[in-house]
Amino acid sequence: MKKVTIYTTPTCVYCKMTKAFFKEHNVSYEEKNVAEDADARREMIERSGQMGVPVVDIDGDVSVGFDKERLSRLLNIK
Amino acid sequence: MIYDLIIIGSGAAGFGAAVYGGRYRMNVLVIGKEFGGETAKAGNIENYPGFLSVDGFELMDAMKKQAENLKVETLDAEVTEIAREEHCFEVKANNTTYQTHEIIFAVGAERRRLNLPNEKELTGKGVHYCVTCDGPVYSGKTIALAGGGDASIKGAVLAAEYVNKVFLIVRGKEVAAEPINLERMKNLGDKIEVLLETEVKEIIGKQKLEKLLLSKPFKGSDKLVVDGLFVEIGAIPNVELAKSLDVELDERGYIKVDNMMQTNIDGIFAAGDAVNHFGSFKQDITAAAMGAVAATSAYNDHKVHGELCPFHAQPTMASE
Repeated sequence: MKKVTIYTTPTCVYCKMTKAFFKEHNVSYEEKNVAEDADARREMIERSGQMGVPVVDIDGDVSVGFDKERLSRLLNIK
Repeated sequence: MIYDLIIIGSGAAGFGAAVYGGRYRMNVLVIGKEFGGETAKAGNIENYPGFLSVDGFELMDAMKKQAENLKVETLDAEVTEIAREEHCFEVKANNTTYQTHEIIFAVGAERRRLNLPNEKELTGKGVHYCVTCDGPVYSGKTIALAGGGDASIKGAVLAAEYVNKVFLIVRGKEVAAEPINLERMKNLGDKIEVLLETEVKEIIGKQKLEKLLLSKPFKGSDKLVVDGLFVEIGAIPNVELAKSLDVELDERGYIKVDNMMQTNIDGIFAAGDAVNHFGSFKQDITAAAMGAVAATSAYNDHKVHGELCPFHAQPTMASE
């Protein structure tokens, strides 16, 4: 199974949409709140090169925002 | 199948209409590019009747469930084209064509940009358009927020929970917000500093935002060093699809409607931020209310024209 990490803020609607998408497709993930966790924030900026959330890391492939098509491709969701 | 009503847009206006359309026992399809519209991005909403405080996304989710409970269908897709044949419409989305008797444009508006050089390059790298999304990323930092309306004051108050300092850059002579939000801003003291009659003239930075050039000096300098800039300067109505059907716009470029949300084209109605019915007072409650009225008008129209569409929808019959 692919390792999925999502970087979020508590008030971000696209983070909620992404998590709802994961739930719908039974994708397990680790969530890191970058508003509270400075290490996670640094990690997110390093990996994605930007500061918008959500950022999703799927086995090293990074997706920024709620990009349903890219997430579906990376997670082999039909 | 020919739908009785297709609603384009899945924000408060769209689902306000969907709930009523469902209760009128119409066959309704809601097609939305981005679920929840502006309401979903609003953070905590405290002025929607019935809720002390509700998260915008959760409010939209509740509206969607309410509509689905009334057998309304939903589709996450962008409508790319609409063709009209008398009182029937063919709506294209996801490479599929959906036929309908009635259409409600609840398409909302796009966030307005500053249209400055560097803005696009630095988007996500210091420049942002959703303070509820990305504001908390700037925990412990300094940000600027351009805009003096209620959404920007609310955004500044939310961001102040996380950041060290917010500069609110306001073009006008005063901020225009709900007094309750102004009180909250004032209670935060100098954590939020308001720069009136000031505009962002340049966005400066290479790999990321470094500073802003202001139209008017602040504390002796026209350069303001910030880590982030959030743009909340209103929105431009999405009217291209409506225009393609010869729907009339008003003098400000919004879809023109009468008091019952009817456009100049029979069978086409509009609601929400794409219309200027309540002027600049654009709220979740006004959007939902416009949606309810639009659905009622669509229902009444459908009672008159409902029989005609199957005839027009089939070219072989229509040409006879």
